[in-house]
Amino acid sequence: MKPILKFIACFCTISIAMVVMSSFFEGSSAKPRFSFPYKKAGLNDRQAAAHLLSRFTYGATPGQVDEVVNIGLEKWFQQQLDANIADDSLNLLLADYDAINMTNTEVAKTFLNNGQVFRMAIKEGKVDKDSVNKADKKEYREFVQAYMKEKGLRPQQELYRQFINQKILRAANTNNQLQEVLTDFWFNHFNVSITKNDCAEYIPAYERDVIRPNANGNFETLLLATAKSPAMLMYLDNFTSAGENTKEMMPQQRKKIEQKMTEALGDSAVKKIKANKKNQGLNENYAREVMELHTLGVDGGYTQQDVTQAARVLTGWTLYPFTEYGIGSAMKKVIEKIGEDKLVQRGFVHEGDFMFAINRHDNGEKVVLGKKFPADGGYEEGVDLLKMLAQHPSTAKFISKKLAVRFVNDNPSPVLIDKMAKTFTDKKGDIKEVMITMATAPEFWNKDALREKTKSPFELAISSVRSLNATVRQPQQLNNWITKMGQKLYYYQAPTGYPDRGQYWINTGSLLNRMNFGLALASQKIPGITFNLAALNSNHEPESAEAALTVYGKLLMPERNLDETVKRLTPLLNDPNLIKKVNDAADKSAPPVEATAAMQSGDMMMEATDGKDQPKDKFRKKANGKNNSTMDMQSYAGNTTMLSQVVGIIIGSPEYQRK
Amino acid sequence: MSSRRGFLKSGGLALFGIGIGGIPTFLKAAAATGKIIRPYKKKKIMVCIFQRGAMDGLMAVTPFTDEHLKAARPTLFMDAAKSGSNPLIDLDGRFGLHPAMKSFEPLFRENKLGIVHGIGSPNSTRSHFDAQDYMESGTPFNKGTGSGWLNRAVGLMGHDATPFRAVSLTSSMPRSFYGDNPAIAISNLQDFGIQMKGGSASSTSMVSKSFEDLYDQTSNGLLKETGKESFDAVKMLKKSNVNNYKPENNAAYPTTALGNSLKQIAQLIKMDIGLEVAFAESGGWDTHFNQGTDQGIFARNVTDLSNCITAFWTDMGTTLQDDVTVMTMTEFGRTVKQNGTGGTDHGRASCNFILGNDVNGGKVHGNMKPLAIENLEDRRDLAVTTDFRSVFSEVADMHLKINNDSVLFPDWKGEKIGVMRS
Repeated sequence: MKPILKFIACFCTISIAMVVMSSFFEGSSAKPRFSFPYKKAGLNDRQAAAHLLSRFTYGATPGQVDEVVNIGLEKWFQQQLDANIADDSLNLLLADYDAINMTNTEVAKTFLNNGQVFRMAIKEGKVDKDSVNKADKKEYREFVQAYMKEKGLRPQQELYRQFINQKILRAANTNNQLQEVLTDFWFNHFNVSITKNDCAEYIPAYERDVIRPNANGNFETLLLATAKSPAMLMYLDNFTSAGENTKEMMPQQRKKIEQKMTEALGDSAVKKIKANKKNQGLNENYAREVMELHTLGVDGGYTQQDVTQAARVLTGWTLYPFTEYGIGSAMKKVIEKIGEDKLVQRGFVHEGDFMFAINRHDNGEKVVLGKKFPADGGYEEGVDLLKMLAQHPSTAKFISKKLAVRFVNDNPSPVLIDKMAKTFTDKKGDIKEVMITMATAPEFWNKDALREKTKSPFELAISSVRSLNATVRQPQQLNNWITKMGQKLYYYQAPTGYPDRGQYWINTGSLLNRMNFGLALASQKIPGITFNLAALNSNHEPESAEAALTVYGKLLMPERNLDETVKRLTPLLNDPNLIKKVNDAADKSAPPVEATAAMQSGDMMMEATDGKDQPKDKFRKKANGKNNSTMDMQSYAGNTTMLSQVVGIIIGSPEYQRK
Repeated sequence: MSSRRGFLKSGGLALFGIGIGGIPTFLKAAAATGKIIRPYKKKKIMVCIFQRGAMDGLMAVTPFTDEHLKAARPTLFMDAAKSGSNPLIDLDGRFGLHPAMKSFEPLFRENKLGIVHGIGSPNSTRSHFDAQDYMESGTPFNKGTGSGWLNRAVGLMGHDATPFRAVSLTSSMPRSFYGDNPAIAISNLQDFGIQMKGGSASSTSMVSKSFEDLYDQTSNGLLKETGKESFDAVKMLKKSNVNNYKPENNAAYPTTALGNSLKQIAQLIKMDIGLEVAFAESGGWDTHFNQGTDQGIFARNVTDLSNCITAFWTDMGTTLQDDVTVMTMTEFGRTVKQNGTGGTDHGRASCNFILGNDVNGGKVHGNMKPLAIENLEDRRDLAVTTDFRSVFSEVADMHLKINNDSVLFPDWKGEKIGVMRS
């Protein structure tokens, strides 16, 4: 064995040296060590770049296909994996959002719900407990508002608004697109939900500190970080989980601690804590989901026995108390009284917002998936358990499949999954390596993988603003539409996360909303979302509806074959007779057209066909004069309504729902 | 996908009457295969109302002879004695219905309204989120269940469906509807269509026709079929003139969120477009402060609940009442003892209401014991003596004629309690 090891060590040193040297000499122009087999699949550079952009970004911006071709597809992908491109303009956009940079402690101190505000006010003697109940709603509201202002407190809704806005702005603007796409993927994989109040306010920090920095890092690190995050500890209840075989303290020690507790909290509070403690026990929620949803998968080969045992391993994993008013506030006082160093000596662990409370930890022996965890394993046995789960072959497969479903197609081939799983295992959960294996596999470039994924409502909205080079001044307006289309961001209740399948996103109600979104966006009827359609086409105005369709179809959906779309739509857009037919068939009870409104909006189509309104300008006269014949498309030139309708139809079209 | 195609076979026939483009070719084809015996077979409909926030079942339906309750609720307890100003409605000598729910009384006396008391979840969580999650997924000890019980119910019905088979009158999909079977969440039926703000009717029609054509030609099966269904559905709704709905039999829906939801459910039912499971929500039940007695927050809530349901029932009329069952649910009940602020805190069991012609009504079902402290769960709460799954499964099984409880409620092997007539 030894000579082999030596050889390997030597080889490694040489290769590292080579890598270092090559990067030294070639700098950032180093050629990636992989190549994409798209030519074998019959794709040219531009087609391949378009495919890459559609899967690994939130949609191509105008001209981006050419940019990627110029950089080189592989190099572009490597840059995206490295995710360290400067993001100055995004940072400028986010500068006003102060809450998204706060720590959990700051958030907990700043964003209080009404109940918390009230308890605080009562405690400070600002309000009498009984008077609260007599006060009417309005009075109560006014008091809460005034008190919050005085104390510098802010409503929780503001935190969520800032948080959701930043997600939209980030996705639309970041240069590190893949990192953002992967952040979305992993957040959904390790889902937590604002619907659960207890964890809601820790979610911004969860995405910022736990998910995003690890999104293209290492799976094991990511898993451990989620396990220790307040959001996950609260969402899946592990924070409360306590074991039965907790380490018995010496009676003297116990007495001393109780005495300190009483000093810190008072007699009745200690009694209450003791009573609550009796109600606390083992909670299996996190242990089950970490196996079923985060690592092994439901068929990953674990039993109920394993779940219970794993839950025992993770007892005592909880969050460090943040404030005097939130959860664990009593605990905070006790910790301060006893002294943290003394607790650490006993086996407590305090790491950021995470705390391992050994007094709640089950110290007995456990067996999970055949592996023995000897008694008195403390905090470390939990880490060992999670590492074991991260490295399990079932996990490699489960994660690989999920990534392939997200990035390749809804039913990825087992061959591809096996390849990715092998990389996952060989490279010890290195997410970048798994992504490279996936993107260099022929399955990724296969003709039947192209355009096979359906955009989620979020992806549709973001890709639209990216395609149009739109400025997003009111992200919440976009969020309203995303919600309407069936994706309430951060509110998916179940730990499974959104099902990543077209069939989930596309249903009768949501599909119509996608079309309506396209129309509203393109006609600039969504407040705070602006763009210049003419500028997209270098201020060349399309000469006809058909030309508009062709030109803007290409701009919005580069490298797609839109012949059929154009063929289908052109007669409709061009033929006033057909429009008349449609009008005739339309519901007679439809509200009458308001002539002035229609004229103001420059609604040429309508004017041209029903002829009810008096022409106001040259074009209208002309169009009316040519009733029932092909319209003079030259006259369309300055007609932004026509153009925005065409663009709206493109965004709402089936082709644009695909990526 | 079979259920989607099912729409074309069954409910899609409703399009005959619309007169746009004559008989669709897919229907001709389907008819030729002989699969369609009747153009449209009327289905049973189950309407579920989730009372979010946890209703105080002991105030809604009070065991008024219970001295323990009287002692535990010095200012909240109400009596059925006629001497009082606004007494409870004595249902059976033991239970009294809150006076604000007087519209329920005749339904109860006609044996159409059944009540289950002591209903709840075996999982003792007192967190709204967890308890709702468990009740809606139908798996009280498993958070990872991806689907909701109503979605599974839809999947078990064993016949073809229309896109309107499962409709939730909510802005986002409720947990109960999560899952693989098609379901719709829509807060307002008027939103169902192509809309162009400021656009004329004709340009809207043109755009609508463009979309219809585009979805018809796409090579993506899912988008093509859903597109077709969507436009068919738009036409159906348009024809039935949703904007000017007139309830029948002088039914008066309260102009509240729940009233609007139930009114729209009634519209969908009358449109005959294949609705089988409907879902609506009612809020404001988390009454920690000043919940009141015959007046106040709680009274207002139960007024709304009972008046909305009664209006819906009236609107259905004798022709549709046989097809419809309404069931309420809430995540847990509230403490037996009132708290220091004139309200009640999170407890365990509550009660629920089931209305329908096949309900074993006129009875308060369940197994509530006297509220002596030793009978209470954790010595404070009305104990759960009926698992919610035994009631939900019985209503779904009997009314919707589905029979696979191992799929509907996995890990549950309980008994039915006879809340439906067999």
